[in-house]
Amino acid sequence: MRYLLRRLGHAAFLLVGVSVVSFLFTALAPGNYFDEMRLNPQIGPETIAALRAQYQLDRPLPARYANWVGSLVRGNMGFSFAYNSPVAPLLLIRARNTLLLTVAAMLLAWGIALPLGVWSAEGFGRLPDKIVSLGTAGLLVIPDLALALGLLVLAVRSGRLPTGGMVSLSFESLSLFGKVRDLLVHLALPVAALVLSALPLLIRHVRAAVAEVLDAPFLQAAEGHGIPRRTLLYRYALPAAANPLISLFGFSIGTLLSGSLLIEVVMSWPGLGPFLLEAILARDLYVVIGGILFSTIFLVAGNFLADLLLYWADPRIRTESNSR
Amino acid sequence: MSLRGARLGWLIFLVLLHATVIFPGFFAPYDPSEQDRKNPYLPPMRIHFLDAQGHFHARPFVYPLQLRQGSFDQSEGNTAKPVSLKFFVRGTRYQLLGIIPFRLHLFGTEDERVYLLGSDSFGRDQLSRFFYGGQVSLFAGLLGAGITLLLGLCVGAIAGYYGGWTDALLMRFSELFLALPWLYLLFALRAFLPLSVGPLQAFFLIVAVIGAVGWARPARLVRGVVLSAKERDFVRAARGFGATDAYLLCRHILPETSSVLLTQATILVPQFVLAEMTLSFLGLGVPEPVPSWGNLLASLQQYSVLVTYWWMYLPALLIVPFFVGYLGLGSELQERREPYKIERTSLGNFA
Amino acid sequence: MQPLIRVESLVKTYEKQGLAGRRDEVRAVDGVSFSVFPRTTLAIVGESGSGKSTLALCLACLENPTAGSIWFEGVDIVKLSEKGQRAMRRKIQLIFQDPATSLNPRWSVAEILAEPLLLPGNLSRDEATWRAHSRLDQVGLSSEIAEKAPAELSGGQRQRLAIARALTLEPKLLILDEALSALDCSFQAQIANLLQDLQSALGMTYVFISHDLAMAAHLGDDIAVMNCGRIIEQGRPAEILKNPKNDITRNMVSAVPRMEFPRQQAPEP
Repeated sequence: MRYLLRRLGHAAFLLVGVSVVSFLFTALAPGNYFDEMRLNPQIGPETIAALRAQYQLDRPLPARYANWVGSLVRGNMGFSFAYNSPVAPLLLIRARNTLLLTVAAMLLAWGIALPLGVWSAEGFGRLPDKIVSLGTAGLLVIPDLALALGLLVLAVRSGRLPTGGMVSLSFESLSLFGKVRDLLVHLALPVAALVLSALPLLIRHVRAAVAEVLDAPFLQAAEGHGIPRRTLLYRYALPAAANPLISLFGFSIGTLLSGSLLIEVVMSWPGLGPFLLEAILARDLYVVIGGILFSTIFLVAGNFLADLLLYWADPRIRTESNSR
Repeated sequence: MSLRGARLGWLIFLVLLHATVIFPGFFAPYDPSEQDRKNPYLPPMRIHFLDAQGHFHARPFVYPLQLRQGSFDQSEGNTAKPVSLKFFVRGTRYQLLGIIPFRLHLFGTEDERVYLLGSDSFGRDQLSRFFYGGQVSLFAGLLGAGITLLLGLCVGAIAGYYGGWTDALLMRFSELFLALPWLYLLFALRAFLPLSVGPLQAFFLIVAVIGAVGWARPARLVRGVVLSAKERDFVRAARGFGATDAYLLCRHILPETSSVLLTQATILVPQFVLAEMTLSFLGLGVPEPVPSWGNLLASLQQYSVLVTYWWMYLPALLIVPFFVGYLGLGSELQERREPYKIERTSLGNFA
Repeated sequence: MQPLIRVESLVKTYEKQGLAGRRDEVRAVDGVSFSVFPRTTLAIVGESGSGKSTLALCLACLENPTAGSIWFEGVDIVKLSEKGQRAMRRKIQLIFQDPATSLNPRWSVAEILAEPLLLPGNLSRDEATWRAHSRLDQVGLSSEIAEKAPAELSGGQRQRLAIARALTLEPKLLILDEALSALDCSFQAQIANLLQDLQSALGMTYVFISHDLAMAAHLGDDIAVMNCGRIIEQGRPAEILKNPKNDITRNMVSAVPRMEFPRQQAPEP
């Protein structure tokens, strides 16, 4: 229990820390944002004055920070100049789309990496391992950008898959089954790109974790007891490898989120990525901060989830933290 | 760190590859900003040894491309005018290593321009832009990795050696950086800096930003090495001779980190090259007309280009050998050591 | 005669960080007092965990004691500033147990030897190397090994190198923390003899720390038995071996192997 509280505290600390850093950026960034905005003819001087008053730029930093956090908690994430609307609702839709993409990719990537990693670790150094190693090396050397673009080029040339967007124009008029199918078809390319870019490292780490467990004396003892191979793998080895694997899971959330940023832009998937990019180019300050915060929340939440899983899966952590 | 066998092989491979971007003027037939507006989006020219009449030529040649009659995107070679490829020609002027004026190119042609990788929307030679762009991208990657490793080394050494509050504080701070997905962090940092700056400033800006993002992981690794190194007997013995902290760090402890730093370098450089490419691709990096590997691919963001001029993708494939080199070297360096383990203890720290 | 070094009620406690933030105190050295006279050897014996190594580190100024005093050359080294301690460290040298770890494996023999002399920064590299080389003879090593790495030497050679390195500083006191324990038997005898030779030749004073009562009795003029951070018995080797006053000492004495030949002849081969 203490462990969970500690992890919760840690997550909270991270969120607070990131929020402070983000806030400091806005307050201290070279080239006052509002000065730059003044140069933008679309934003009238009255808007700027109103915003300055609203964000109380004349008050000391800690007060502004408190104010900012206060409005964040109330769901007010600021105002987007480009879209002329509050930030939160815009971000929420985009965040949902990113989440959809990332979760799908996560499931698929782990679904492939776990069996392949285990298979590879089993035949460590022998043919299956070598094939898998070659495959992962081959994927690793292709930079993510090249991978995404390459898939896009292939899709365009073959004309089979849609090359952008989340749904077709005729989405609304489709049946439920049609809608799901449409979504899946649009998901295919981005998910494939994301999975392929994350797969090599994932497989390697799974392989390493499982291989290490397979070497353990307790497993050899169990083998000596005549326990069948399959049971050995799935009921003895895999649970023992739970600690590094679950930690890897937490870590992979971060890499997938980063990857999704690029792939969303390249493949025109309407997630946080393209939105963030637009905001940066348009100097839409509060959207940028909002986007950063959202991605951090996902990452921290995902890692906390991993911590929970770890608590449930690894008895050592339960006993260690409960004993005094 | 011994340079033996496979390691030496990979190193030589990498050095050779980098030679093409250290001396881009020599390897590239043209200046990257030389435009030829009459020939936009040409596909790559094929190298022939047999001409249309079936004669064999010892010297390779290409056919200049022209638009097919009645089409706006199909090109064909003009078989009436084969253009030979000559090697070690005197071509456009360039500056060797930025200072020495030079005119020698690896290969070139006499009248018509040769586009081995095709041309972009302004008619600029993609191959030349690839070599010059590699200079920018690779240099950004190397410099960025250098900054990150330096930062990581300092932070890790201080945290590991002095322990206590300093250590706890620095590690918590590093966790903040690890808590953000790195590309988001990169974008955020980039966002808060002026957008439209000159190419040189943009370059250093990006390098600084990239370097500032990734220091957390190397710092933790260095810290681990320092923690175990400072308990070693030979460090204690040196203390027994009256050595100061600085001496112990510099002469005994930090040399232990060399293998970790080298392995990290082989991982970080490709990652940072990718970061620069991503930024430039999206318009947040090195601006036109300076070529970078990201810029080269930027035109692919337009659907029309993707469909009709798909060969603009080819430079991306040429980048792969560089990554192969770094990966190969990295895996050779890591061979002797355990794979990087990610494990958590009940304290929630990464082991 | 004045003792070279006098320890008074030395205490060293370590704080172990418990998992829930609770601190556990470990008293590694718990009120130790003794004196060592010049040109003699004090042997300190004890099991693992008795606090011997911590004591050695405190004596060599490499750890700061929690309480007590160590009087050396009229100065209480416990009270010295860091700068003062750095100077003092050069006068009391510590030989570690495993020469494989106490010599930097990346350095050559010549560099290892010259390091103590080069540290203050007032000798040139050549001068330091030359001076260091002259020590090699003293410990019975040839100067051919100068360019080798420690890994290329045998255990005995490495420990000689460690001793030579310590001697370059001409220390007044040499502390040997289990210095023979990591060596093979034959090397143990060699180094033990070397130590005795050096003592008579250079007038060295030793504190010899070991778990081996037999070796301690052989080398020491005085034996102190340590247990749980305290000295439970002290005296001449012959006395300790014949009349151990403490249970623990008795156990240690009985563990010393004695070669006794049976009264009857061994059967013919």
